[in-house]
Amino acid sequence: MKKYAYFLLAALVVLAMPLTMQSGSLASEVLIFALAAMGCNLLLGFTGLLSFGQGIFFALGSYTAALMLTRWPVPMPLALLLATAMGALGAAVVGWVAIRQRGTYFVMLTLAFSQMFYFIAYTATGLTGGDNGLMDIPRPNLSVLGVELWALASPWQLYGFIAAIFLLVFWLLLKVSRSTFGRTLLAVRDNEERAAAIGYNLKLLKLQAFVISGAVTGLAGALHAMMTGLAPLSNAEYHTSEMILVMTVIGGTGNLLASLLGSAFYLLLADWLSQLWPRWLLLLGLALMAVSLWMQRGLWGLGDSILQKLQGRRAPAATVDAKGEQA
Amino acid sequence: MTAHAPILLEAIDVEKCYGKFAALGGVNLRVRANTVHSVIGPNGAGKTTLFHMLTGTKAVSGGRIVFDGQEVTHEPDYRRVRRGMARSFQVTSLFLSLPVRENLRLAAQGVTPRQALNPWHEPVGPRALSQVVDSVLAKVGLERMAGTPAGNLSHGQQRRLEVGMALAARPKAIFLDEPTSGMGIDDLEDMKQLIKGLRDQHTVVLIEHNMNIVMDISDTVTVMQLGRVLAEGKPNEIRGDDRVRAAYLGNMITGGKG
Amino acid sequence: MNIYLLQVINGVGIGMLYFLLAVGLSIVFGLLRFVNFAHGAFYLLGAYFCYQMTRWGMSFWLALVVVPLAVGGIGWATEKLILRHVYATDHEFHILVTVGLALVVQELVILQWGPLGDSVAVPDALQGVVIWGNFVYPKYRLFVIGLTAVLAVLLWWVLEGTRLGSAVRAGSESTEMVSLLGINVLRIFSLVFGLGAATAALAGVLASPIRGAEPFMGVEALAVAFVVVVVGGMGSFSGALLGGLMIGIVQSVMSTLWPEGARLMIYVAMAAVLLLRPHGLLGRKE
Repeated sequence: MKKYAYFLLAALVVLAMPLTMQSGSLASEVLIFALAAMGCNLLLGFTGLLSFGQGIFFALGSYTAALMLTRWPVPMPLALLLATAMGALGAAVVGWVAIRQRGTYFVMLTLAFSQMFYFIAYTATGLTGGDNGLMDIPRPNLSVLGVELWALASPWQLYGFIAAIFLLVFWLLLKVSRSTFGRTLLAVRDNEERAAAIGYNLKLLKLQAFVISGAVTGLAGALHAMMTGLAPLSNAEYHTSEMILVMTVIGGTGNLLASLLGSAFYLLLADWLSQLWPRWLLLLGLALMAVSLWMQRGLWGLGDSILQKLQGRRAPAATVDAKGEQA
Repeated sequence: MTAHAPILLEAIDVEKCYGKFAALGGVNLRVRANTVHSVIGPNGAGKTTLFHMLTGTKAVSGGRIVFDGQEVTHEPDYRRVRRGMARSFQVTSLFLSLPVRENLRLAAQGVTPRQALNPWHEPVGPRALSQVVDSVLAKVGLERMAGTPAGNLSHGQQRRLEVGMALAARPKAIFLDEPTSGMGIDDLEDMKQLIKGLRDQHTVVLIEHNMNIVMDISDTVTVMQLGRVLAEGKPNEIRGDDRVRAAYLGNMITGGKG
Repeated sequence: MNIYLLQVINGVGIGMLYFLLAVGLSIVFGLLRFVNFAHGAFYLLGAYFCYQMTRWGMSFWLALVVVPLAVGGIGWATEKLILRHVYATDHEFHILVTVGLALVVQELVILQWGPLGDSVAVPDALQGVVIWGNFVYPKYRLFVIGLTAVLAVLLWWVLEGTRLGSAVRAGSESTEMVSLLGINVLRIFSLVFGLGAATAALAGVLASPIRGAEPFMGVEALAVAFVVVVVGGMGSFSGALLGGLMIGIVQSVMSTLWPEGARLMIYVAMAAVLLLRPHGLLGRKE
């Protein structure tokens, strides 16, 4: 049944990575940024909101997890939950101000807030470690009531843990995308004015999308901190937000599984190319331009088109445009 | 009979300014329940602007709007939908990438928008609002196109869907902005019958350029010019009004012969 | 000299540069209806081209003229060859294509000049200070204020007084109307985009003796341009001027009161303006 197809595909990819890849850290990174890209996709592909502020929530998640695990030793699952909550809270604040504007104004505001957050993180050295960031973040094993359930010491052990969380969140987001809320978001993306005219409170809808996006991205940031042991200032840089957006767009907007594809594509390419040529980001910039010009549905759309051509079907006119299909 | 129907919608001294340009300069309008009330006038008269004011698409610069006894002047459009107002647009504004059925479901669900925030349940079963959607599909004659993306419909079909979107909200008052614009002759007649039949369950406020339709089905006609009401009355009264004749340069108010 | 007066004057200088940086962005948005995320990249190119020319022994004065023209030409070509093809798609892709372009430019700059950044010397004629009674101030900074003021007047005259300017202002209202009047809208698009790039590059050239040239300055310049435009009001010439001056003065004065927080404060100022006046100080409600 198509309903479970996406989830099964995701599970397949998750199982395939340990079998095909050498680095557990890289595999974990792919899943972590797939989470962030899915959060971004919920905004861009489903609601039509282009946000340059995802780095804010990612960094908030990292900092929160770091602080919860180092300063006030809090059980690891709780630390993750708090980081998720912080991401959601940050998104609520940024969203509340930014959503009052529409279209391009909104996009510009998310960039400005991203920079603002960077400078806040830079100056609040007591909390964030400023330029140095926070370091020596432990990676406690998963234990409940003193009973150890899951050791997380080795990279692949950690991967297993992250994979489980990823699949859970993926399933939750699938439900959201198929829910009444998700379907309403698609309408908002298609034609905002009409959505308002038939009775929908745009601000509230967009804000809820923002909060969910922020929560998922915050969780990703927290997992990243656990994996690397660091919560660096660079998470709050423009480049992080840009990177998440690039993954989302190249993967394909409007389809959650495409975000996993985008994350894998970006990180595997980065891993391979950066050893060959330090300026590989140039190619990425060109790829982004190419996708924007000719392949707006991203890699997923490309795969879909090829599949349809092989099956001899022509896609109906209205869907062969910049709007992707829903997951 | 209709002269004694209660007043459902009232616009009192409504003004709208865009910067220095006064689109509406003190418009008074009374729409009675279960009537077809047409608003006509030359281009630039402010008809669509008046619609924007009545439905809340844009905010008034002055004056009041009272709907069903409630003051709605400062309520935005999405709130007025819940009170029982629904509109169609002069320039087709549909969810082009979504199927016809989904367009209608969204419109039907808009009346209970809290459902729209539900991030867990899919819109299936009772949430699919199939009864309403199916009845609207039948009414506007789009049953066969239910699964087609709205962007793939012909112009006439899209105009019908526009009306359908308003109907799906099961409104007390339905605002149709030039529903027949660009339609062919066959579609025109169907649309005319459709609008005529709406009177029983709804109050219809209609902007139309097609005088055949206006004169045939309206209970009241309001004529606008340059942002003000020029004349108002039954279709026959308007047909014989000299001022209206002058505003239209004579030859349009002849009941379809112009 | 009173330190606050000094900082206010510095603020005016920075503010005028910010105005120059932002006005191109604002005009481009007003006409083409999208925000060029590569605007900071044009600023970056301005600074680096200037640096390169001075390295080749050419005069700063020559760079002041040649570099904006060169980068303006690059902008003009970019619109004509690349951006034009994206207008038919969703507005997200207009922005994303320029984001890609900005990234490409940044990497090319690092490829050519290395990742560390360089400094540009103040031209000989403008070295040193001006002394006028109690008033002591670097000559170069005065020059920047003077030149940008002249440019502001020039730009104002172009927009208000010439046929091109009228076409741009009319086009900001409705490109359909303008094309119906027989004016080649697409050609104006390229010209305006080129003009926007040129002003950004000029800002880069003028800023380079003060700030140097560094590959990541494009991103910060973009963010600052956004702040100025948001504060002043999108599409408004005088808004860009007012916004630029305000932000420049805030930053400058704060750098005395709280140096680490100076750059943060400009964003705080932006947030404050937005809460009170969501469309900027001089913006129109769309």
